[in-house]
Amino acid sequence: MIFFFLVAAMLAGSFFLQEFIPFFAWAYYARFLLVHTAFYCAAVSVPFPVMLLFALVCGFIWDARYHVPVQAINEAGVSSGQVELPFGFTIFIFGLLGAFIQGVRPLFRRGRWELPVFLIGFATALSILIEYLVISFHRGGLDFPYELWWKILVTGLFSTAASPFLLLLLSKLAQMVGYKIQLTGITRKYTFET
Amino acid sequence: MSRLNVVFLLIFIGVLVWITMFSPDAVDRIQRGAMSLFEPVTKSGDGIKDFIAGEEEDAISVAEMKERLEFAERDRDRLRLEVLQMDELIYENNSLRQALLYKERAPQSLIAARVMSRKPSTWYNTLIIDKGENDNVKPDSPVIVPAGDDAALIGKVSEVRGDNTAVVLLLTDEMCQVSAKLMNTPEQGILSGQRGMLKNLPELKLRYLSKEADAQPGQLIVSSGSGGLFPPDLILGEVQRYDVGVIDAEAVIRPIVDFDSLKDVFVIRPDIVEEAEAPGTTDASEVQAVPKPENGQ
Repeated sequence: MIFFFLVAAMLAGSFFLQEFIPFFAWAYYARFLLVHTAFYCAAVSVPFPVMLLFALVCGFIWDARYHVPVQAINEAGVSSGQVELPFGFTIFIFGLLGAFIQGVRPLFRRGRWELPVFLIGFATALSILIEYLVISFHRGGLDFPYELWWKILVTGLFSTAASPFLLLLLSKLAQMVGYKIQLTGITRKYTFET
Repeated sequence: MSRLNVVFLLIFIGVLVWITMFSPDAVDRIQRGAMSLFEPVTKSGDGIKDFIAGEEEDAISVAEMKERLEFAERDRDRLRLEVLQMDELIYENNSLRQALLYKERAPQSLIAARVMSRKPSTWYNTLIIDKGENDNVKPDSPVIVPAGDDAALIGKVSEVRGDNTAVVLLLTDEMCQVSAKLMNTPEQGILSGQRGMLKNLPELKLRYLSKEADAQPGQLIVSSGSGGLFPPDLILGEVQRYDVGVIDAEAVIRPIVDFDSLKDVFVIRPDIVEEAEAPGTTDASEVQAVPKPENGQ
C-alpha cells in the first residue's frame, strides 16, 4: 500500500517536471513525455486495478492541463460539430496501453528490463500516434510526412532512454518498503516462480 | 482475468464514458482549475530558462573578466560589459516602444499580453498568454503583433482558461483558417497551416485562388476581413510559390513572423472586430472560425 502512494507521488512529481521540459525544434518539436513514461513504468509495477486508477487520474490531469478543444472542420471549412480529441481521450490511451504494458510484469519481476524498456518507449510513441490518427480521421485525410515519423520516433526514444532510471527508482522504492510484485489478473495464466 | 479485475475494468470504462460526456462548461471549469494549479509552475518554468540563460552569460563574463585582470584592464572590461547591457536594454526598450506606439496608433482596442508558454500541446500549434477573463479576452479573438508600420496576424484565441490565462491557436496550425487575399488585388482564398506541429515556419497554403490570380513570389498576403472573425489587412505572409491546378490555383505562403521568438502580443477585442467589419461583406461560406463546442462534443 505504501508503495502505491510512493508511485502516486512519483507520478505527481512527473506532472510538475513536465512543465519544464521543452520541445526540440531539431526533432520537429518532439519532446520527452515524462508523464507518459512515468505512467507506463508504474503500469509495469502495480496490479491491474491500481494501474486503472492511475490511468484514470493521470489521464484526467493530463487532459485538464493540455487538452485543446478544437473542433474538426472539413475541406470546405464547415465545422463537424465534434471536438477532435475529446476530453478524457488520454484516460482511454493510458488504460489501453497500460493494460498492454502489464503483460511484461513477469519480466520486470525477474529483473529482465530489456523488453519492458522497449515497450515503454513503444507505448509512448503509440500514444501520440493514436492521437494523430484520430485527428487525421476527423479532418478527413491521412497525411504522413517524414517529419511526423521522426517526431514520433524521437518521442519514443526519449521515453526508452529515461525508462530504465524510472524503473530503477521504482525497484528501489519497492525494496525500501518491502513491496513484491504479485502476478495476478490478466497475467495470472502465464505466471511462473522465480 | 480475475473477477475482481473485470469489476475494476467495468468501473474504469464507466467512469471514462462519463468523463467523455462532460459538457464544455464542465471541461472549461476543470481546465481553469488545472491552469490555476499549474500557473505558478508554468511561469517559473520560463523564469528558470531565463535564469539558466542569464547564468551562462555571467559565466562567460566572469571568465573574460579574469582573463582581463591578468592584463590589468579591469575597468575597461567593466565598462564594456555595461555598454553591452545598455545595448540590450536599448534593444528591449525600442521593441517595447515600438509595440506601445503600435498600440496607441492602432484603430482597434488592443489588449497587450505576454507569452507565458509556447507549444504546450503535442499536435496543435498553440501558446499560452497571460491575459484572460479579467481583461475581457474572448474565444476567437484575433491575436496580432506589430510588423513595421502594420500588424501581422499570428492566430486567434482558442480558449480562455482563467482570469489571467488564454490559449492562442497559431496561424501555422491547420485548424486556424483565415480568409485571405493577395495584397492590392481582389484575389481571395483560404489560408491554412500545417497538421501536427512539425515545423516552426511551415509553408502555409492559400487555396481556392482563381487561375488568373498570378501571384508573384514576395507578394504580401493579407486578411480579407470576410467572415467577420479577423479584421481586414492584417499581414499573413508572403508568396513563395504559385501553382495553377485544373480547377483553381494554390499559393505557398511563408509566414513573416518568427513564432518561436514571440514575447509580447496583442489581442484584438472581439466587439471591435465586429464594428470594423463592413456591412454586407459577410459571406457564410467564408467564415473560417472554428467555434467552441456548444453541446457535449
